[in-house]
Amino acid sequence: MLCTISRWMISRAEDTGKKLPRFAERHVRRCGACSDYARSTASLSSRLRAERSGWLAQAPEFPSGLGAGREQLPAKTRARLLFGLRPLPVAASVIVLIAAGFVLLRVIPRDSAPSAEDRIAARAAIRTLASAPEELRGVMGAAESSLNRERQVLERSLASAVDYLQARLNIKIERKETPKTL
Amino acid sequence: MAATDPIAEKTDEELAREARAGSRRSFEELAGRYKRRLFVYLRPRLGSDEDAEDIVQDTFLKIYRSIDRYDPAYRFSTWLYTSANRLAIDSFRKNAVARDKIPASSGRDVPDPAAGCEDEAGATGVWDTARTLGAVRYRVLWLRYGEDMTIEEIAAVLGRSRLAVRVLLHRARRSLVGRLGPEVGLAARTRTGVARQAAGD
Repeated sequence: MLCTISRWMISRAEDTGKKLPRFAERHVRRCGACSDYARSTASLSSRLRAERSGWLAQAPEFPSGLGAGREQLPAKTRARLLFGLRPLPVAASVIVLIAAGFVLLRVIPRDSAPSAEDRIAARAAIRTLASAPEELRGVMGAAESSLNRERQVLERSLASAVDYLQARLNIKIERKETPKTL
Repeated sequence: MAATDPIAEKTDEELAREARAGSRRSFEELAGRYKRRLFVYLRPRLGSDEDAEDIVQDTFLKIYRSIDRYDPAYRFSTWLYTSANRLAIDSFRKNAVARDKIPASSGRDVPDPAAGCEDEAGATGVWDTARTLGAVRYRVLWLRYGEDMTIEEIAAVLGRSRLAVRVLLHRARRSLVGRLGPEVGLAARTRTGVARQAAGD
C-alpha cells in the first residue's frame, strides 16, 4: 500500500515539481523497489526526451498541405484549398457574375447605335406617321406597350436576382432612386 | 560561416503572430516545424500513415483559416494539438460510422493503436515501446516529453481534467518502466508490480 502511494507521489513530483512528502521520502529510502522506481522514472524522462529526435526522424516526408507545391497534394486536398478556404465568397462571386452577364445580355443590344439606313427609314416612317396623326397614336401606343413589356421582364429578372442575393448573403439591397419612366 | 535564416530562429508564437498579420512564409515555417511532430502524435490513434497525413494536412488548413483567432498569450503548440485532436476525433467517428455500414464479412478491422509496431525491426527504442502502450497513453507521453507541455496544457489539448492527465501519465510511465525492464530499472518487479503485470497491465 505504501509502495503504491509512494509511487504516486513520485509521479506527482515528476509532473508538478512538488517535493516528495516526508513519509514517502522515508519509504523510498527504505524500500529498494520504490527507490528503483524513482530512479527509473527520472531516467525514463530523460530517455524519452533524448530519443525524441530519433523517433521524429522515422516519420515519412510528406507535404504539409500549404507549404509545399500544390501539385504534390492529393486531389482531395487541392479541391479543399481551391474551394474550401472561402466557400461563401466563391458562391457569391459566381452568382453576381451570372446576374451581371444576364443584365448585360438584355441591355447591350438595345444600346447599339442605329445605322444610317435605319435612320433614313425611321425618318420616312415619321414623315408618314406625321401625315396621319391617328395612325401615329396607334403605332406609338404599340411601341410603348412593347417597351413596357420588355422593361417589366427586365425588372422582374433583376428583382429575382436581388432577392436571391439578399437571401443568400443576408444583406439588404435598396434602390437608390425611383425608376425613370420610358 | 553559413548564414542562418532569421525566420528559423523565431519562436512559434512570433511566427504565429506574423502569420496572423498575413505572412504565409511564417506559416509555412510553422507547418514545417510541426508536421512530423503531429504525424507521430496522430499515427497510433488513426492506425495508418495515410490517415495521419490527411489529418495533419487538415489541421494545417484549419489553423490557416482560423489564424486570426490565435491568441499569442497561449502557446501555439497547445492550440495546434487541440485542433488536431478534434479533427482526429471527428475522423475516427466518421470512420466508425463507415465501418458500421460495412458488412462484417468485408474483413475491415478497427485500427489497432499498436499497428505496425510488431513488424518494425529493432523496436527497442523507448518511443517504439511507448507506442505499444495504447493510443491514449502514448499521446499523453508524447505531449509531456515530446512537446514538453505542462499538465494544464495537456489537459486542455485532451479535454480532460488535470488529475485525469496525471493518472494517465502515472500509468503510462509505470507500464513503460515495466516493459523496458532492466533498461530503465527494475521497479516493476516488486510484488505489487509483478501482480499487476500478471493481471494484464
